[in-house]
Amino acid sequence: MKSLVRLLLVFSLFGTLVFGIGAQDTEISLLQWSHFVPRYDEWFDAYAAEWGEANGVGVSVDHVNFTELFSTLAAEIDAGDGHSIVEVLFSPASFIDGLHDLRDINEAAAEMYGERASTCEAASYLPVSDTWYAYTHGYVPDPGDYDIALWTEAGYPDGPKTYDDLLEGGRAIFETSGIPVGIGMSPELDSRMANRAAIWSFGGSIQDENENVVLNSDATIAAVKYLAQLQNEAMTDEVFGWTAASNNQGLIAGELSYILNSNSAYRSLQKIDEAAAANIGFTPALAGPAGAYASSHVWQIYVIPKYVEGDELAAAKQFILDHTANYSDVTYHSELYNFPCLSSTVPELDGWLEADPWGSEPPNKFEVLKTVNDWSVHLGFPGVTNPAISQVFAESIIPNMVAKVALGEQSAEAAVAEAHERVEEIFNEWRARGLVGGG
Amino acid sequence: MKLLRLGNFPLDNRRLIGALFLTPALLYIVLLVGFPFLLSIAFGFSDVTVGNTDLSFVGFRNFLAVWENDIFRQVFETTIRFTLISQVFILIFANILAVIFTQEFTGKWFARFIFILPWATPVSLAMIGWLWMLDTKYSPIDYLLLQLGFLGRGGLLSDNRNLFWLAAPDLAQISVIFVQVWRMTPLATVILMAGLSSIPTDILDQAEVDGSRFMRTLLQIKLPLILPIMVIALLFSMITMFGDMTVVYVLTRGGPVDYTRVLGLYSFQVGIEGGNLAQGAAISLFAFPLLLAMAIFMLRTASRAEVR
Repeated sequence: MKSLVRLLLVFSLFGTLVFGIGAQDTEISLLQWSHFVPRYDEWFDAYAAEWGEANGVGVSVDHVNFTELFSTLAAEIDAGDGHSIVEVLFSPASFIDGLHDLRDINEAAAEMYGERASTCEAASYLPVSDTWYAYTHGYVPDPGDYDIALWTEAGYPDGPKTYDDLLEGGRAIFETSGIPVGIGMSPELDSRMANRAAIWSFGGSIQDENENVVLNSDATIAAVKYLAQLQNEAMTDEVFGWTAASNNQGLIAGELSYILNSNSAYRSLQKIDEAAAANIGFTPALAGPAGAYASSHVWQIYVIPKYVEGDELAAAKQFILDHTANYSDVTYHSELYNFPCLSSTVPELDGWLEADPWGSEPPNKFEVLKTVNDWSVHLGFPGVTNPAISQVFAESIIPNMVAKVALGEQSAEAAVAEAHERVEEIFNEWRARGLVGGG
Repeated sequence: MKLLRLGNFPLDNRRLIGALFLTPALLYIVLLVGFPFLLSIAFGFSDVTVGNTDLSFVGFRNFLAVWENDIFRQVFETTIRFTLISQVFILIFANILAVIFTQEFTGKWFARFIFILPWATPVSLAMIGWLWMLDTKYSPIDYLLLQLGFLGRGGLLSDNRNLFWLAAPDLAQISVIFVQVWRMTPLATVILMAGLSSIPTDILDQAEVDGSRFMRTLLQIKLPLILPIMVIALLFSMITMFGDMTVVYVLTRGGPVDYTRVLGLYSFQVGIEGGNLAQGAAISLFAFPLLLAMAIFMLRTASRAEVR
């Protein structure tokens, strides 16, 4: 009975969409980032134009630097006018009141394509208000990238598997070659992800499953102590001043032995020096005392602001669903950067991971990513990514907490307690607005 | 004698012409300064988020929450410290350069042109240039120091190959202050040059006739006469720097840790990136009473100096 209702919902949705966007003068506009892979934007722009012609809808696409997405979305919601669809790369949970509930297309997609990766659902759905404020179509894995020659010489031919390996092997490599490990501790995106990965793997987290703040724990303190030791013994002070591009640059230059990143650094190297690229290997999330977890690198999240109405709204929803239906093209043209939230939409994925269509050597370089859904989580893990989690992320509270200890300014206990206090303040603010559970 | 009487010409009306000349400036102030300012006050006393701009009044809740935030207090202190230290250097360099550029020398035009570039270049573009210059790993300054033996094994400054300009707490703060001084000095210099050029030549001629040498003329005649203008230059520079976020946003994003995080950047991180628009507005409004007091004090000082 339940599935029959869902099926009816899907058909009624499509009926509405098909009838709703019949008028020739319907227009939609999209705002998204200038993709890391330029050929993806070329494909996407052509695809969007073709889709527009086929559906009798005018489509325009604007690309901006990813750092401008949130500020533009904020301005457009405030103005009550702007793009029909905005693609952001991190959960826009704090925008929830200005966004359409996209439950219909999320349920329609689940009905058509099956289970959604948990990292995607948690970046689109807010349980406390029971709202699908976004539609996450893709995410980017964040595996470890390591220098095969250096790690083989250190006795780890398959790269580090655990945080202990990273410390022992990374330290040995640093002592013998002067080449450090590259885990950022700076107020920037990659550092925020990498530091969280260690905390989760040691058993700590910012919040629990019910959105209560639990940062100040023995597990978090142990993770922070570990990261400080790693910095002191296997890294240089450069990590305190990194930008998001720094670990890419270091790996490409052969001056870092291990980083956590998407495939972007590797793909860049592949285009300029194939032999050097062949020397880069990938590892899944490193295992700590409590498991192996890493944050997804970014998410591709579509939102539709509330000012979008009528035919434009129907066309925007149709565009999103059709885009998902073509996800094999998305993954392929992004050079395996975009992974599908709905894995059944890209049946070729396992084959591509075994034999990279973009010419990796060896061809199965990305095979470790077959298990990505086992270890790739979202920013609010093990709860959801709510507005408080987004603000904690924006304020760089976690990498700053780690850096204070690594710089020797505070004990791990004091730094974690101080960070916990600020996180609690942020959670209480958003909880008062009814957008965070627990408490 | 018969006078030629002109017909009525609307622009002869002093009131009309005054209003016409003032209108653009007033519109600019009302629309681009006044309205956003009032809006930010409204935001600061409300519960707005980036997704919900309905103004529900919450009194001083945001301001109290911000004041209780340890990070904010550190950011506030950093902003004041960076601004004051920078102004000292800006004032010294601007005075020296203004005196130099008001002298006659070969290549003066070219030197002035080069000198004004830091101010004329879009700030984000200039900061990307500095980001490369001060890169933690590939800084050309480090490369030069390495070649000269100041860096690297046995180096005079460090055994490392890098100084980590934007990663070491002290150096990151010095770098940000240096870049702000580099960026703001040309404006202050140009204002002071205008002041020096406006000193009546008969006063300077009289001083020369009375036997006053360069330093005495400078310290006892020129500088006192341009004091009101110097105060205005300082005011411009301080207000611009106090509210600036671009320099640190591009160079350090506030790091390492919170060492270079300033008010404008923190307001943006909390209000826009973090979605808490109300607290973001409250953070930025904390600067207002301080800047207002500073502006009143400095303008009074300038006015008194002018009267004397």
